[in-house]
Amino acid sequence: MKLKVYPILIKLLFWLLIVLPVVAGLGYALSYSLGLTGLLSKGFTLEYWQKALTTQSLWASFLYSLSIGIISVFISLCFAVSMALSWNKSIQQGRLSYFIFLPLCFPATVMAFVVLQWLSPSGWFSRIAFELGFINSLNAFPNLVRDFYGFGIIVCSVLLITPFFTILMSNIYKNENLLHLENLSKTLGASTAKTLKRVTLPILFQKSKMTLLLFVIFVMGSYEVPLILGRQYPQMVSVAIVQKIQKFNLNDIPLGFAMSVLYVILVVLVLMVLGKPSRKYLKPHFK
Amino acid sequence: MRKSIVVLILVCFWACKTDKSQGESSDLSDWSMVETQGQNQSINMMMWKGDPKINAYMSDYVLPKIKSKYGIDVNIVSGQGSMIVQSLMTELQANKSESEIDLVWINGETFYQLRQIDALYGPWTSELPNAEFIDFDNPFIGKDFQQDIDGYELPWGNVQMTLIYDQAKIKNPPQNKVELLDFVKTHPGQFTFDNHFTGLTFLKSLLISFAENPDELYGDFDEVTYQKYSQQLWEYINKLKPYLWQNGEVFPENVAQMHQLFASGEIWFSMSNNDSEVDNKISEGLFPKSARAYVPDFGSIQNSHYLGIPKLSKHKAAAMLVANFMISAEAQSHKSKPEVWGDGSVLDIENLPENQKQHFENIAKRQYAPPRSELNQKALMELNPEYMIRLAEDFRTKIINP
Amino acid sequence: MMSKVLKYIYVLAVVFPLVFLLGLSLAQQWQFPEILPQQWTFQHWGKSLFQEGDILKSLFLSLGLSLTLASLVSVLAFFISKFIAYSKYRQIYMRLTLVPYILSPVVLAVIFQYYFTLANLSGNFIGVLIAQLFFALPFGIVIFNNFWNNKLKSIEQLSFTLGASSRQSLLKVIIPLSKPAIVLCFFQSFLVSWFEYGLTQFIGLGKVKTLTVMVFNFINEANLFYAALACVLLVLPPIVLLYMNKKVLILAR
Repeated sequence: MKLKVYPILIKLLFWLLIVLPVVAGLGYALSYSLGLTGLLSKGFTLEYWQKALTTQSLWASFLYSLSIGIISVFISLCFAVSMALSWNKSIQQGRLSYFIFLPLCFPATVMAFVVLQWLSPSGWFSRIAFELGFINSLNAFPNLVRDFYGFGIIVCSVLLITPFFTILMSNIYKNENLLHLENLSKTLGASTAKTLKRVTLPILFQKSKMTLLLFVIFVMGSYEVPLILGRQYPQMVSVAIVQKIQKFNLNDIPLGFAMSVLYVILVVLVLMVLGKPSRKYLKPHFK
Repeated sequence: MRKSIVVLILVCFWACKTDKSQGESSDLSDWSMVETQGQNQSINMMMWKGDPKINAYMSDYVLPKIKSKYGIDVNIVSGQGSMIVQSLMTELQANKSESEIDLVWINGETFYQLRQIDALYGPWTSELPNAEFIDFDNPFIGKDFQQDIDGYELPWGNVQMTLIYDQAKIKNPPQNKVELLDFVKTHPGQFTFDNHFTGLTFLKSLLISFAENPDELYGDFDEVTYQKYSQQLWEYINKLKPYLWQNGEVFPENVAQMHQLFASGEIWFSMSNNDSEVDNKISEGLFPKSARAYVPDFGSIQNSHYLGIPKLSKHKAAAMLVANFMISAEAQSHKSKPEVWGDGSVLDIENLPENQKQHFENIAKRQYAPPRSELNQKALMELNPEYMIRLAEDFRTKIINP
Repeated sequence: MMSKVLKYIYVLAVVFPLVFLLGLSLAQQWQFPEILPQQWTFQHWGKSLFQEGDILKSLFLSLGLSLTLASLVSVLAFFISKFIAYSKYRQIYMRLTLVPYILSPVVLAVIFQYYFTLANLSGNFIGVLIAQLFFALPFGIVIFNNFWNNKLKSIEQLSFTLGASSRQSLLKVIIPLSKPAIVLCFFQSFLVSWFEYGLTQFIGLGKVKTLTVMVFNFINEANLFYAALACVLLVLPPIVLLYMNKKVLILAR
């Protein structure tokens, strides 16, 4: 009977397409990192895990990615909120709305390429600074890409995320009737600043905090952007993992798999503890 | 709208259809068998695609010739050393019966690793008629990073590392370690080397320069020798470091990036494993006409690059036909033209039959790099791959992230 | 007034990257400290679109891949998300869905690669399609998740009460009602696939040369004029989508 087959089929599809790949992949990575698989494996060993957990570069790369994620999200949030609040009407409709959406057409790869061509010492901004006489040689231009603090990566991430946040904030503003609430608060005698601080911002934050968290995780896992704008140390997680698996030393491969298992576990933990799946999620395309 | 999307999808499917022809059976010891079996197939070749000239040589010269000669379609796939190792390794591990790759461009540590996991087919090179003229007696060709090639890879080209500088900015480029240190101190931020093959090759020549006799480092990897000289090397690099590009905190990721920095004027030196690179890049318009190549007095490494066939390839005969063409006098001489690629030939040109020798006559000399005979005098041998793996590792932990 | 000036600045800032890329794709030589390229040429465009056709091929390959994936995801996500939404274990299912959704695709590729090789799926179109499906499908499910609500459920119930078969109810009631969500999901997953690099490169072994893969190849060759050209081609289709309907670029409800 059709009706009975259907739910089973769907359930099967779900497990097959969503759960199985991750579990299987994780299993493979785990067994590789424990020395159980791999052409050069010599049997069960905790050596790689020990190495992975004790080397400083692994934790550095997690912390580095996390801080870049948090900083990027925070900066984008500031821009987005100010734009959403001051241009609220024109974001939702009119000609400006197209321009708000335009940056969303840029894939991470392209945005990173553009940022590189702008900010590198021989880039466009440096040329302008030179022509205007601010610097006398291109080496006087500050290191903005491939720098220690990940400035280039942050700029690129901010450019990628801000439009999403702007639209998100503007939608919350509209859907939660914030204009109405603001007027009410002002009628009751609160100043504009106080209304912003006590009413508008808390509501915006409350409604978007899950999305913000997810974006931190997305930025953490981004690959193309740090590949183009990052440097060899410190490295973002994805880049570090791929490099461990693909560089000169074959004995580093289990280490790379240990790192990827660790990354997956950390992300899943964050999700299980903090995730409320019924929320509305947004995802940028820049991973 | 919906219809147009469906049509588009169909068009696209059609556009990216792939054809897989059947593989061949086993006996490849007889060349006439290889010739009959190998024709009219399509094979995948994985190679480093980081240089437009080399890509153009392959796609505009080798591929059409092979297509018209044997009806073989070669699909060139981008991927160098580590990627080749990783892909073939996964295939072996998954017990695949057929490899996705039929021909690879390799040398040194990739060859070492592929042999380590037994991923290469061989020995096969002596089957090729054109291999007769390869100069196997030349240790720079017959040995790959101190390893015997044993017929598991076929020499394809021979090059020597050169440093590249801009004559308009530098009159007398540094010739030894002391001069180099002086130079970077007076011109901070203008010198660097990349974090990949080229930079590592530069580090290797420096490493050798610390030994009184290069023979100490030739042969198998030796831990004690490595420790002794690498320590001196890192001390020296640490002295250079504060005066390197970006204060030595970052290194260009690959040679193309370094060339780009040199071209835009951000650094005053570049380097290349290909001694004709400077001519190539000037003719492409990337480098200024005042760029020159040279080898410092402490010498530079000369090495060869090779072609290998994966063990699991189902198109070995076709791959052998392609490889045989690639070492023909015709293809080798074309490759050695500075305006094409400028890659050194692996053939023993003196002993070629007259009709083949003529291919090598009338090749324009390169303008901006010293002649090979001059470079040869400063040529150093490649070291065992283990040295390179260790240098890469130590470079990361001791210099990039101390 | 101030706000207007800021708006114009914003518009300029947003349009500028596009102009910049276009300019770079027409340049031939651009040494420091020239602000504008020293030489201009149409040669790159002519070569890549008409003579060699490498980039053009990639454009079609990318279109084919992304459109196929988008169709697949829309259909699968529609049914799976409906099942999840009306299930007792909705919360658990959604959490499981979110795992591949938020993981870095390239890390997924790293841990999947062995199985893809095993199944003869690495290095070909189908393999990349399936690999992309593994993380685009959760994406589609998340998009549909908010769409299934009690109102919709009661409409479906009503159609059954009125004697519709489950097929009729689906075709005549549910699908027409969910058209906006389906369109949204289609375009969103199109973009996910269109923009993807790491996973495609890893599973496709560089053989499946989508436009993003080409961009990276050019960047690695330090061939920035061609890289810029490929970037322009990469950005154009989303802009066309934007022009058609700006809502499709984001979940805006």
